Amino acid sequence: MPILEVKNLKKIYTTRFGGNRVLALSNVSFSVESGEYVAIMGESGSGKTTLLNIIAALDKPTEGEVFLDGKSLSKVKEKEISAFRRENLGFVFQDFNLLDNFSVKDNIFLPLVLSGKSYAEMNLYVQPLAEMLEISDLLDKFPYEISGGQKQRAAVARALITQPRLILADEPTGALDSRATDGLLKIFSKINNDGQTVLMVTHSVKAASHANRVMFIKDGEVYHQIYRGSSSDNEMYQKITDSLTIISTGGADDE
Amino acid sequence: MNKLLYPKLAASNISKNRRTYFPYIITCIITVAVFYIVRSLSLNPGLRNIRGDRYVSEMMGLACWIVGIFALVFLFYTNSFLMKRRRREFGLFNILGMEKRHISKVVAFESLYIFLLSASVGTALGIALDKLMFLLITKAVEGDIVFGFFISPNAIMTTVILFAVIFFIVFLNSLRHIHISKPIELLKSGSVGEKEPKSKLLIAILGIICLFAGYYISISTKDIISAITFFFLAVILVIIGTYFIFTSGSIALLKLLRRNKKYYYKTSHFLSVSGMIYRMKQNAVGLANICVLSTAVLVMLSSTTALMAGEETALHNMYPYEINVQTSSKESLNSFSNDVQELIEGEGHKVEKKDTVCCLSVAAVCRGESFEVTKPGNFGDLNSLNNLVFLSLDEYNRLMGEGKTLNKNEILLYSGDDKYNYNTLSVFDKNYEIKEKLKNISDICNSPVVSSYTTRYIVLPDENELEYINKMQQEVYGDDASRLSYILGIDFNGSEEQKREIYAEALELTGNMHTDYVITNRTNGKDSLYPMIASFFFLGIFLGTLFIMATILIIYYKQISEGYEDKERYEIMQRVGVSNDEIKKSIHSQILTVFFLPIITAGVHTAFAFPIITRLLLMFNLSDTALSAVCTVICFAVFALFYAAIYLITARSYYKIVSK
Ligand SMILES: Nc1ncnc2c1ncn2[C@@H]1O[C@H](COP(=O)(O)OP(=O)(O)OP(=O)(O)O)[C@@H](O)[C@H]1O
Ligand SMILES: [Mg+2]
Repeated sequence: MPILEVKNLKKIYTTRFGGNRVLALSNVSFSVESGEYVAIMGESGSGKTTLLNIIAALDKPTEGEVFLDGKSLSKVKEKEISAFRRENLGFVFQDFNLLDNFSVKDNIFLPLVLSGKSYAEMNLYVQPLAEMLEISDLLDKFPYEISGGQKQRAAVARALITQPRLILADEPTGALDSRATDGLLKIFSKINNDGQTVLMVTHSVKAASHANRVMFIKDGEVYHQIYRGSSSDNEMYQKITDSLTIISTGGADDE
Repeated sequence: MNKLLYPKLAASNISKNRRTYFPYIITCIITVAVFYIVRSLSLNPGLRNIRGDRYVSEMMGLACWIVGIFALVFLFYTNSFLMKRRRREFGLFNILGMEKRHISKVVAFESLYIFLLSASVGTALGIALDKLMFLLITKAVEGDIVFGFFISPNAIMTTVILFAVIFFIVFLNSLRHIHISKPIELLKSGSVGEKEPKSKLLIAILGIICLFAGYYISISTKDIISAITFFFLAVILVIIGTYFIFTSGSIALLKLLRRNKKYYYKTSHFLSVSGMIYRMKQNAVGLANICVLSTAVLVMLSSTTALMAGEETALHNMYPYEINVQTSSKESLNSFSNDVQELIEGEGHKVEKKDTVCCLSVAAVCRGESFEVTKPGNFGDLNSLNNLVFLSLDEYNRLMGEGKTLNKNEILLYSGDDKYNYNTLSVFDKNYEIKEKLKNISDICNSPVVSSYTTRYIVLPDENELEYINKMQQEVYGDDASRLSYILGIDFNGSEEQKREIYAEALELTGNMHTDYVITNRTNGKDSLYPMIASFFFLGIFLGTLFIMATILIIYYKQISEGYEDKERYEIMQRVGVSNDEIKKSIHSQILTVFFLPIITAGVHTAFAFPIITRLLLMFNLSDTALSAVCTVICFAVFALFYAAIYLITARSYYKIVSK
């Protein structure tokens, strides 16, 4: 059974004053198997963030359904949605979203504190994670005291500490320089090798080339997919660039 | 460029920022109105001469200065806040190609609009309310009601000129804000991570020391001279203490909580404690401001309402009888007494009450059960200074219509409100047994003591004993010694006008007394006491209004700026899996704490200020502590209601911002 199944998603935004309706997603269906590393690419405004928000139950689809481990998100009660999100999903955002008023350690602890774990238990979880992400020395610092790459690794630690079923990342490398990007991508590959399922939205071909599968979204639909198969990162990189060229010229034909 | 561009841009800026500018403009209008009212009252001929006294006019003249200075400080402060909020907007203008001098021009137009609006509407409002205030004051001082509007061109001029100057200074400050800003910085401002505040334990401890020193002064000061001297010291200590404790103490305490892992890592505490640390850093000064202003309002209103409510008691304490005479010769008092009685009855009035007494009043330092009489200047601790009034048993029995007896070395003691816990009393090396502690004493004995020190009445067994005390105190004081006083008090019926006339005639009769004398009457006393109390009261009302308004505005701005900051944190938390309920709960508890911390502290301050305030009220001969307590409690209750209403209103705009 796939870990994530998205069926015929449609999302229409209506602006507050009624008038404008924006079709952000028209008909999106795909599924993600356990242990996969999937990248989603697409032009700005193609609906990637919208898709991720719906998968994360932060937003509701106009039509269609999302299943996580075979359970429909629409069946989860409103009251339990936060706990559900906390226990099953981990998030990594472009702008890190660390809270200023917490130390790095407390930021990482946040989801566990909410689940009522004891301090000793939390400490046990955080040690190996911090070592893997090389942030052991930073745990007692505050977000304003560390670099962007370090912030993003802290955010990854926060996403992983609950051992979620699925990691959702929205342009996680968007605010990082190339060295920090490489570091983060390595971490994603590593956790994926350890069995973690990852779904990542990205504009960067380099980031996408680390994934097992790349999905292209255009005009609110899944337009094209490529699988890594046995190709190396470099071959994958080539495949993605080729597809992007075809899509953009093909897109020109469509209009 | 189009000439109309700047004026238009200025207008649209104000309307775009109306969430912050609307309250600012209202504040300006009210400040202008209050200033106009105070200024106009100080010039109003109807208040100029209330039977020859100018208390009200003079007090309002003083109030002009206070309100003017307050207006400058407060408008400057709020404008600074507004300018800081608009940094980003100015940065955007700058990047869109407007130079700083163009922005300055726009801001100049904005200032001009706000000035014109507040000066015109404020003055109009002032003129409208001026008459009402005038009527209230005339009623309070029981003066003659003057009909018709009094519009003072002079007051209008002063108001317009003063606020033109204030707005110009405020505008210069805006220019400074625009000038020191750099566009890049401007665009980024707000997104820079907030630093974790450092806890300064030393300052926190210093704050606690200051606070308790201030409290201690208030509680321990017993006499009025020290109360006046130390009142301001106490106020300054408490203000410093408040600022230190709010800024450092709160953070030190929260960090202590955070260090306790078991407590801190609980879902509810985790969000609140960290949120509070963040909030206190941002708002500690604002909260301290609110607390100090609230305390000022409470102290001012409660003391002035106590004065107003107790003015009759004060008048009676000051003038126990309609006509009060004090002299050092028994014969002249007796003949004067007869003359006045004839005069009163000759005019067709009835003498309702007439008392005379002979007594001796001596200042002494109280040391437990022994009273030391030393030369003035050697009193040392003013707090333990007592006023001892001696009279003989015969006088007492005659006055009270009783038949008490005393052995040698026995006395009767009346200590008023003050407790005397011993059974003996020694003075001038003589030790007396207290046979009985009296429950009350005739009003006439109050006459020689206008003093605000603790007064104790001592009834001696006979004249010889009184003579002995008199001799002893003459030895100590020499030329400064008090003399045996012969006191007369007469009450009679009649209208106030008639009482004044009789008093005037009685004054002429005093020519027959070939000795020194003091004569006072209550009706004339009232003519000077009531306007004085009324002017304090209205001063309290005007300043109270301004301070309350300042409090509201600071609270409102604090809520808004917190709202914008919390909005982002709120969104992040939601994503990480904090449920809406948990967020709301934590925000709610934080807001409540932050909101009600200042008023609770202000309440505690006021409670501790109460003792020294009651001492100060003695200056007006108001000794009714229970009444003052009731006034204070009522003022606090009313203020707390007001405060809760402000909370409800501002919390709404806060939630609107956060949940948008
Ligand atoms: N809250 C909203 N209300 C109305 N329209 C919205 C809202 N959020 C997004 N949209 C619109 O939906 C479309 C898809 O937006 P979305 O943010 O999903 O794009 P995206 O693929 O993430 O773009 P980018 O790569 O720039 O982040 C856009 O046209 C956007 O304007
Ligand atoms: Mg996006």
